[in-house]
Amino acid sequence: MSLIEIKSVSFAYGTQKVLDKLSFSVQENDFLAILGPNGAGKTTLVHLLAGLLKPQSGRIQIDGKSIRAYSRAELAGKIAMVRQGTTPTFGFTVRQTVMMARYFAGGRNLFETRQDCAIVEQALEMTDTRRFADRPLHALSGGERQRVFIARALAQQTPVLLLDEPTSHLDLKHQIGIFELLKNLRHNERKTVIVVSHDLNLVQHYAEMYLLLADDGRTLYQRDGGGLPAATIESFFGVTGVEGTLAGRKVFVPTGIADRHNGVQ
Amino acid sequence: MDLTPNKLWIRILAATAFLFAAIAVCLLIGSVPVSLFDALRGPTHDGQSNIPYEIIVHYRLPRMVLAAIIGAALAASGCVFQAILRNPLADPYILGISSGAGLGTLAAVLLGWSWTVFGMSAMMLTAFAGALATTWLVWGVGRAAGRANITGLLLAGVVVNAFLSSVIMFLTSIARADQVQTTMFWLMGSISEMQQVEVIAASGLLTAAGVGVLLRLGPSLNMLSFGADEAAALGLSVSRTCAAAFAVAALMTSLAVCLGGLVGFVGLIVPHAVRLVAGPDHRQLIPVSALVGAAFVVIADTVARVVVAPAMLPVGVVTAMVGGPFFLILLVRYMRNLHWQVK
Repeated sequence: MSLIEIKSVSFAYGTQKVLDKLSFSVQENDFLAILGPNGAGKTTLVHLLAGLLKPQSGRIQIDGKSIRAYSRAELAGKIAMVRQGTTPTFGFTVRQTVMMARYFAGGRNLFETRQDCAIVEQALEMTDTRRFADRPLHALSGGERQRVFIARALAQQTPVLLLDEPTSHLDLKHQIGIFELLKNLRHNERKTVIVVSHDLNLVQHYAEMYLLLADDGRTLYQRDGGGLPAATIESFFGVTGVEGTLAGRKVFVPTGIADRHNGVQ
Repeated sequence: MDLTPNKLWIRILAATAFLFAAIAVCLLIGSVPVSLFDALRGPTHDGQSNIPYEIIVHYRLPRMVLAAIIGAALAASGCVFQAILRNPLADPYILGISSGAGLGTLAAVLLGWSWTVFGMSAMMLTAFAGALATTWLVWGVGRAAGRANITGLLLAGVVVNAFLSSVIMFLTSIARADQVQTTMFWLMGSISEMQQVEVIAASGLLTAAGVGVLLRLGPSLNMLSFGADEAAALGLSVSRTCAAAFAVAALMTSLAVCLGGLVGFVGLIVPHAVRLVAGPDHRQLIPVSALVGAAFVVIADTVARVVVAPAMLPVGVVTAMVGGPFFLILLVRYMRNLHWQVK
């Protein structure tokens, strides 16, 4: 049985169709990357998976049970979401932020238990955020803050981590750092990782499965790793480019914009 | 780790001590000089009634307890509005919610309604209805304006406030002359010592219960200050929680308005000050703000009693004179810091 099963899911904002009869499944311990140009519905898909949006048709099942049959708190025990660039209105510290994951994951206690604290410390340790655990979130750099939200997702103790562009606005070192962290979490904690990203080269190196969404409704689901063919990337992103192998890694360098009218697709 | 029951109790006790100190000092301040020593001799002294005792126990004390209840209710509901609307400048008065309650109260007064349901007066119920409706309206407008815009919500509140105030003005101008004087004074926020003991006791209990409920919602309010989607992803049933918290906050606002009219800015100043000292965690922000808010209005009301003695200012004038500039300073600060504000 698949951990997550998406069956012919459609979603539209008003009359604008974003996802059309999308189907794919995610197995336990997968590392799935969701790729595509802006407006192709990546974030919409993330919100559907997190139960924040309801599909107009089709089904989403987690552990063999429809996502609608889960209460909010139950769903938060299955999938932890990391979004881009969230900051609270008030100056919560790193540790307070991570601790918020424990309210529903724990026993809805007004005060966190010793066990909650231990879990939070461990999450801080794993993401290397313990050093600044007492600093307010808004005093951190973008990369540090992103790691804090991953720590919070870890403290939720879910089998699935769902991340929406975790490396946007981050410098090179932090980009690699986040993907290394996800890789380790997958191997050491047996997490299932689903990540939306724009960075083709990072994703081709780290992810094992790819889901491509195009802005005209085409989709492609590739379960075997080892990178995407240049023709596929060109057609989904509407660019031309060159592919190659550098130090054993597959890379794609975009060189221009494809002219669809001339059939370059 | 961060907030333990012990830490919370210590801070609540410290805030309580502050409140009692404020009440103790303010009891002795007034247009008539009274010494504590005289008052402590009891109701009768040398066979005559003891005037200092009368003044303190029957005049100043009930008034201060009312001021404390009003302050606690407004400060606690201010915390809720700020958390859920994700706007550090939200306050029941600025958002027009106090005016909504005020309009409700005024309607009941002008219509001459004096029935009670389960011990709640018509005034209280119409105030609650007015506060709830305004909360719903401002929330809806704020959501439509988008969360990126810190000023959109405030503008909506200002306009709603202006609209409701003009409706209130209209009603006062068509009211009978004898009703106008008291209504105008009440609208500006004034605390009278005419309330019965039962009313004071019931209001106190209601406020305490409200603070208790909001304290229990503290972890949820913490999550909500990251936004509805974030809170939902952490497991929170957002609409249910918001409805509950808003209902309690609207109830407390309407209670405060019934007791003391439109007293502004308490829900803005107090949570800010408490947050600066004790941090943003709502589990302590709410109870500590309630206690500090109580002390704040006690002090403001004392200023209102003495500053133009023997005449009296409405307490709302004092809180607005402090709160207005405070609001502007905060507005400038937050507009500058918009780069880390929510998207």
